[in-house]
Amino acid sequence: MTLSTISVQDMHCGNCVGKIERALAGIDGINGTYFNPARRLVLVEHSGDTDPAGLLRRIEDAGFHASLSRIETGGTAQRDLLKRLGIAGLAMMQVMMFAIALYGGAFDGMAETDRLLLQFASLAFCLPVVAYSAAPFFRGALKALRQGLNMDVPIALAISSAFLVSLANTISGSGEVYYDSVVMFTFLLLTARFVDDRLKARFEDANWSLADLPERALVVGSDGMAPVGLAAIDPGTAVWVEQGNQVPLDGTITQGEATLDESTLTGESVWVHRQRGESVFAGTMNRGPGFEIVTTAGLDATRIASIAELASRAQAEKPAVARLADRIARRFVPGVLLLAAVTWLGWQLVDPSQAFVAALTVLVVSCPCALSLATPAAITAAMTRLRQQGIVLTRSDALEQMADIDAAIVDKTGTLTVHEPVLDNVTWLTDPGMPMEDLLAATGMLERHANHPLARALSQAYPDSRGIRLEQVRVIAGAGVEGWYDGRRIRVGQAEFCRAPASQEHAVFLALDDRPVARFTVTDPLRSDAAAAVDGLKHCGIAVTMVSGDAHDRCAALAAQLDIGFAARQAPETKLKITRALQAEGHRVLVLGDGINDVPALAAADVSATVLESSHLVRSKADVLLLSRRLGALVELVGISRRTRRIVRQNLAWALAYNLTAMPLAALGFMAPWVAALGMAGSSILVMSNAARLLSSSETAHEQAAAQASKLTPEALQGV
Amino acid sequence: MGILLLLIPISLLLIGVAGVAFLWAVDHGQFEELDRHGFDVLDDSPGEENE
Repeated sequence: MTLSTISVQDMHCGNCVGKIERALAGIDGINGTYFNPARRLVLVEHSGDTDPAGLLRRIEDAGFHASLSRIETGGTAQRDLLKRLGIAGLAMMQVMMFAIALYGGAFDGMAETDRLLLQFASLAFCLPVVAYSAAPFFRGALKALRQGLNMDVPIALAISSAFLVSLANTISGSGEVYYDSVVMFTFLLLTARFVDDRLKARFEDANWSLADLPERALVVGSDGMAPVGLAAIDPGTAVWVEQGNQVPLDGTITQGEATLDESTLTGESVWVHRQRGESVFAGTMNRGPGFEIVTTAGLDATRIASIAELASRAQAEKPAVARLADRIARRFVPGVLLLAAVTWLGWQLVDPSQAFVAALTVLVVSCPCALSLATPAAITAAMTRLRQQGIVLTRSDALEQMADIDAAIVDKTGTLTVHEPVLDNVTWLTDPGMPMEDLLAATGMLERHANHPLARALSQAYPDSRGIRLEQVRVIAGAGVEGWYDGRRIRVGQAEFCRAPASQEHAVFLALDDRPVARFTVTDPLRSDAAAAVDGLKHCGIAVTMVSGDAHDRCAALAAQLDIGFAARQAPETKLKITRALQAEGHRVLVLGDGINDVPALAAADVSATVLESSHLVRSKADVLLLSRRLGALVELVGISRRTRRIVRQNLAWALAYNLTAMPLAALGFMAPWVAALGMAGSSILVMSNAARLLSSSETAHEQAAAQASKLTPEALQGV
Repeated sequence: MGILLLLIPISLLLIGVAGVAFLWAVDHGQFEELDRHGFDVLDDSPGEENE
């Protein structure tokens, strides 16, 4: 099964989506097609022997311009739009001024020559607007004539008919002119489109793709370094990462140490340090001196690539609520045209002089339908916000379902705790017969040879070697480390290895000549933000259950500290049982898991979340990917999903109410065309600004300020 | 109101100039990246006047 990403630059609306859907429907071997009009993308899941070029041809045949992926960033398109908008704006200022004079003249009387002069001047300013600024609408409408209706049809119809009637009336010197309505309508429509494009562009900025990686990396060879294209670098190649450059590929540090800004990946702006032997990920930024890595993955297998693929699948697939809005919008255009025609015919019977204005007003008042913007705008904004927080949705419905969540199941280790054990206390079992400090120092040195989290806890607890020399150090895998000191054999490791009675887990023993001497207990401390995050979830009405394989009393203490439910000594599979039990009680359950054994529970959950470090299988099953291990991200996710739902509802309610009141008013002739243009654009812009609220909140401003401060400090210090 | 015969063509001309200036500005990237340059003063990256 392959996934082809096809970029269709002229896919704007639900109608286009429908047409492409039909064009692709007949092809064998297609498993699914996902559409994302916001990013102008079509994702096709097809069997390996389907030729992507054939898919392109089908889409081209349907009258679109299609190309295989490489998403266009829209820079030129946005400039073009800005120019059209600016020209329309300049012209509108003039035409509105003349219009006020003309309206005044209509009431108070005005010399015929002055009236004609003002009308011709309006015409002069209106021409570039119709010919240049409104051109995209005409082009869209012309295309629609070949392929079926879209929103550009009523727009083009309204602009052209109003302009032509005004032109005829200007030349004949009698009758109404609508230049003001034409320019204002065009300007406001372009404004709405511009705001919409801006929202999408911000989303693109917050998102990343492989395109964000540098093109080349410095490959270290026997005769120095040479830049090589990323795609040509195999796993296992030594690569040098310069200061201030991005890490080009996933790898392990082999020389030097790294100070990394991982915010592109995790959304976390605090810089992290990575030692030799630790992993670094492509796309993160090297803020410290250069270091060398050995790549562990090719370009297509990097973590950022797999996340980008999952994320683009979610963006290409439409959430249920957006599909509903699409269906309404698809019926909406023919409905508007029909209503305009009926209005015109009806007024012909009553008062023919009013027929054109009323029909025009109906066309104007309904475009471009806040209804069809209401959801996509909000969802795009929400995704942008989530992305900034290091949260990636891999399934678009997850955002909506997330809002209903009222129970969460989380791991203890690594989620609530840091998963970096530290020494808790030391118990001496017998008198060792030599200075304890020397023994502890020897323990620390021995443990430096073992590569185990518990060993790391001890070696960090006793970093000082106190001038001790150890001999014949030997690592026994799965048991411990042994060495000779002062003619005595020292062993550090698990109970059996040290001949100590087996006891609770997370204990390390020290033995001298096969006699256990000391016991070290190790704990996994709570994350600094765990309590705040749990409080946040509770505040959202979400009951948190902690599931752990650890002993009962350890879990109980932790659970009591956080005031949450817990299930201790659990086999990993029981997560599924707990999920099912909660669901049976009527809860909507969120499961956060990172292991392969969590997959059944993740699949059963209403919304499943995982972290960046989990395996590819788990990542591909989860609905939500938390790029930072912060539990706080979950709180953020719940908050954003609920706000999104609220905003979508507000938008839909407003759009429905607006259309239901404005259209009858317009049809009955209670509305001038310019009022209709204001109402139409006002409601679209209102809907989009409402959606844009998701991008910012007071807390965001605060966070950004903090992030800025933390980013600036090291550089500022360098300058001092 | 004969003055209108003079003033309205002038306004046409002025708006024409403004329009051309605007198109020039957009084409020369004057409206791209409105935020970033404000932070440039805080950027100490080497290669510029710091060296």
